[in-house]
Amino acid sequence: MKDSTVAIGTALPRADGPGKVCGTEKYAADYYPEGMLWAGVKTSDYAHALVKEIDVSAALIIPGVHAVLIHKDVKGSNRVGVPESDAPVLADYKVCHKGDPVALIIAESREMVSRAAAAINVEYQALPAVFDPEQALLPDAPVLHENRADKNLLLSGAINKGKGALALEECTFSVESEFNLPAQEHAYLETETGVACLNDDGVLELVASTQTPFRDRMELAHALGLPATKIKISAPYLGGGFGGKDGITVQGLLGLAALNSSGRPVKMWNSREESFKSSSKRHPARMHYRLGCKQDGSLHALSCRIVLDTGAYASLGGPVLALAMEHAAGVYRIENTYIEGFCVYTNNPISGAFRGFGAPQVLAAVEQMIDMLADKIGMDPLEFRLKNAVNRGDELGSGVLMSRSTGIVACLQTMQKHPLWINRRQWEKDAPPFKRRAVGMAAGMQGTGYGPVVADVANAKLELLVDGRFRIYSGVADMGQGNNATNVQIAGEILGQSAAAFELLQPDTERSLPSGSSSASRTTYSFGNALQGACRLLKERILTRVCQMGMGIYQEDLLLVPGRVHHIPSGKDIPLTVIATAMTDSERVSVNSYTAPVARHHEIVNPAVRAAGFPHLVFCFACHLARIEINELTGEVTICDYLACTDGGRVLNPQLYEQQIQGGIVQGIGYALWEDFKVSAGEILSSNLSTYIIPGSLDVPDIISLPVETVEDSGPFGMKGIGEIGINLPYPAIANAVARATGRRIKTGPLSAERVWQALQAEEEQ
Amino acid sequence: MLIRFYLNNQLKEINSDPDKRVVDLLRENLGLTGTKEGCGEGECGACSILVDGVSKLSCLMLAAQLDGHNIITIEGLADGEKLHPVQAAFVVGGAVQCGFCSPGMVIAALDLLQRNPHPQRSEIRQGLSGNLCRCTGYQKIVDAVEAAALEMGDKL
Amino acid sequence: MKKVLFPLNVEEMWSMWQDNPEAGLLAGGTDLLVKLRSQRIRLKTIICLEKVKELQQINTDGAQIFIGAMTNHQQLLENQVVKSRLGCLHQAAAVLGSPPIRHMGTIGGNICTASPAGDTLPPLYVLQANLELVSPTGSRIVPIEEFIYGPGKTALAPMEVLKQVIIDLPVPGIQTHYHKVGQRKALAISVCSLACYMQLAPDGSVGEARLAWGSVGPTVMRFPEVEALLYGRKISLDILRQCGELASQKVTPISDVRAGAEYRRRLTANLLIRLLPD
Repeated sequence: MKDSTVAIGTALPRADGPGKVCGTEKYAADYYPEGMLWAGVKTSDYAHALVKEIDVSAALIIPGVHAVLIHKDVKGSNRVGVPESDAPVLADYKVCHKGDPVALIIAESREMVSRAAAAINVEYQALPAVFDPEQALLPDAPVLHENRADKNLLLSGAINKGKGALALEECTFSVESEFNLPAQEHAYLETETGVACLNDDGVLELVASTQTPFRDRMELAHALGLPATKIKISAPYLGGGFGGKDGITVQGLLGLAALNSSGRPVKMWNSREESFKSSSKRHPARMHYRLGCKQDGSLHALSCRIVLDTGAYASLGGPVLALAMEHAAGVYRIENTYIEGFCVYTNNPISGAFRGFGAPQVLAAVEQMIDMLADKIGMDPLEFRLKNAVNRGDELGSGVLMSRSTGIVACLQTMQKHPLWINRRQWEKDAPPFKRRAVGMAAGMQGTGYGPVVADVANAKLELLVDGRFRIYSGVADMGQGNNATNVQIAGEILGQSAAAFELLQPDTERSLPSGSSSASRTTYSFGNALQGACRLLKERILTRVCQMGMGIYQEDLLLVPGRVHHIPSGKDIPLTVIATAMTDSERVSVNSYTAPVARHHEIVNPAVRAAGFPHLVFCFACHLARIEINELTGEVTICDYLACTDGGRVLNPQLYEQQIQGGIVQGIGYALWEDFKVSAGEILSSNLSTYIIPGSLDVPDIISLPVETVEDSGPFGMKGIGEIGINLPYPAIANAVARATGRRIKTGPLSAERVWQALQAEEEQ
Repeated sequence: MLIRFYLNNQLKEINSDPDKRVVDLLRENLGLTGTKEGCGEGECGACSILVDGVSKLSCLMLAAQLDGHNIITIEGLADGEKLHPVQAAFVVGGAVQCGFCSPGMVIAALDLLQRNPHPQRSEIRQGLSGNLCRCTGYQKIVDAVEAAALEMGDKL
Repeated sequence: MKKVLFPLNVEEMWSMWQDNPEAGLLAGGTDLLVKLRSQRIRLKTIICLEKVKELQQINTDGAQIFIGAMTNHQQLLENQVVKSRLGCLHQAAAVLGSPPIRHMGTIGGNICTASPAGDTLPPLYVLQANLELVSPTGSRIVPIEEFIYGPGKTALAPMEVLKQVIIDLPVPGIQTHYHKVGQRKALAISVCSLACYMQLAPDGSVGEARLAWGSVGPTVMRFPEVEALLYGRKISLDILRQCGELASQKVTPISDVRAGAEYRRRLTANLLIRLLPD
């Protein structure tokens, strides 16, 4: 078994499994370098204030406190963030939310760090704060970043297609609604962490839990005023990321600490509460929708306004808005649309990248609109979707051309034939006393990659080691999705090797090559494409060398098998160890660069939104079904069954595929039912895992995942990225079921037991 | 204070502050970083260890409480390269994604299987209910525990 | 650094405590260590009760059960007498926290923490549990309703410890139940909970009834007027609704990050409906 060749399409167990289940895999959190110090921050007491004076003297005299640093100690720009570099490493003249770090403490123990933090005296001058994104857009609203011409507006844009909103008047039926969705916390199990050290050569070395080691390096150079060549970052396996570690978290602080620790290594590891305070969330969204169709049920016009609250700093708010606008009209042909979007600064915690990247919010809205309209015209919601869903060659309502594999119709047809759908009415009728049952569904998509402007480049590096094995130099961090394992599968398939033949090197700015972020459902698509090329190149070299070693002139005579090259005509084998020794060092290493193709469509949106990533070229698709039971006495919602039909192109590894679908869906169920990141006047109320409720093992059902395979010919072996699509549809599928069961649309998320109970009350009172 | 206990079947005698949290003692002093910390207040289960065979939260235990007890951490389960059947089932069954919850999950599964060697699926979900996972959606973890129970029979 | 002391018996406990009068007592740690971490309390000395032998055992003499304060929730859950005779307490232990929390947290800790959301409390109220408190000078018995008088507030005198919980075992014909609404199925603080104790005549009519709600007031709450409504009646949707209406007027819930007061008030009434026979 150990020697069998890896094959695409099989459930090859993940290479990272054994180390992780034995506790031997070292995460960034697991580094405790000899002689290390702890670093930690004092955060702002105000949501918006000028910093007048920072008195650290009382902290400095605490025994064991090594240093207390403030903004003046930062030698570079003191700003991080991509694409907008607007977040301070340490707040300088002002603070913009309660998580802003004001001082950095370096001490012998964590206890001393927190004692020192309490001893630091900061004098603030409070400024009026703004917590509501609509209010932040008003002309007289307090301004967070005075240097911005657009004041609190980070990015806005509009798509006006066909006759735009005017076409609503031509519709026979139309519906209108508003939706409010809360922030969602990533709640990865490993909070933000890393270690840093300034080595003897003056190189700042960091080990960090990050999705973006290469980008972090450039950001740190700029923020801390160091040449990038003097910074080295490595990214071990992450204890979860989901977008929350897409960019700098503690790295700036860690780097600064290591520059001021007299050469001693420094460790930082946020507590759960610090993590909730400082990390980015899914953007809270306010959306207003109108949707109309003709007599025959064909969608005709959509108008919507999307307002995203990006909090104190931009983070990836601009690109999130662009993707939200792109997905705002769902998977349907709609001739006339008007979509406008605003991403706005407030004094709330920061919002940024989170699995789905704007799509979960807008799909939650548009998919409820679709159900409302189907109800209004008396059409079956699945038929209604089928009638309007795009095929390849069609344009989405947002104007994006579907020029690649487009499997949404096949997904819907798969669901239509499933017993959970066919038997839904009977199942609903069989509800026990004091329970209501309903079945809801939703459909959607996820654009993959970076969009038309930012190059999506991956650089794979592969080495034939002298012991006959291969080392894959991963350029993209593995935050848990298993891209390393997929790399083995791709390389094993092409090189004819077993899984044991591969050694995996985690991203490291010194040894591997920049390959973009672990994000945007692009990791396997882009790096896999690059790796395919690197594998073919090295294979070619190996076979050429074997020919030169006297095994004939036809590569067709040679077969790469585990550990050897087999000469078919003679039946002879040459071990890879022998071949490796016959090759020069540089010959044994292959490097291949891949740039993902981009949409060549005419421009449909303003340049700023286009620059933020609109539109995408490759999309994966899905439809979900949720069977729910509502307890009439308590409003509690139980998900009894869940079905997901997903077009993610070809399935490279069914086990990893299911992992992504199941995991995404459960995170989405959490978003739908429980996860409510509560903030009041900038103060976080749900400050830990006891008050911010993520689903546990008893709260979710087994999920049926049916792959609806298409072949995406631009993806490695026909695959498309499915890291995000799973999270996009639980909200609307469940919301549609809740609405069916209660006869009420709950406009504000999550659909907590209390809100469902209120909906039942409203029904009773009526 | 001097603390004597069995750690992964080996007698340990160490000097520690008595009020140091066990999770810190394991990770910082003893280099056993397989025991993770995710919340520090008993909500996530990532820091679970076996104390005299029973799963407990090492973030809510003080070093002094180890004295005289038999402690098993995630590092103490495999026999050299050979994984414990529960660990093997996690690997083969795809129960591991980011893996940060996995050590705690394995400990919870062991605790469960010692009490109930042939659990129903619902009982497995119950047994894992003190351990939060943000990646897997739990399904493959439940599958893996089911498979491990089958594999081990009554051997535990 | 804090001192951590491990008395082996009550006598040792008193002498250690007398030497360290400011010490805090550590039972299972699931509450105390959370509070220490968040610096809601500070302690120089901790007296750990896990080895105090008088606090450990569960005994029964057929008429009563004596549950040592250091009995953890798992032991409670596995105890056959609790399971067969004190259904509501067994059910409460089953939904308290999570498996590892149940392996650590103790009934004594749950009582002395005196949170209105403590899962074992409503059952102990309807079971009319008596608490044996001991001090260097003697011991006294206090009914649980008199012991807890506010959130985190108990009748424990300085240098006094809860030794054991004493419960009269209900006679056959008594039914007890515990129902809880939390924000998720495990690892959940109750948003509203209800324990009930009902004596049922062969014809199904109710004799004595006791009802206690958690998380809807500063302490667990019982209302004699509501309980009286059930006397002599058969359980029906109608009578349960009447009880619910009255109870929901009497509770004094708060709104917090977990739930609103109005919702808790409604749950107060609706949880009663669960008492309908299947």
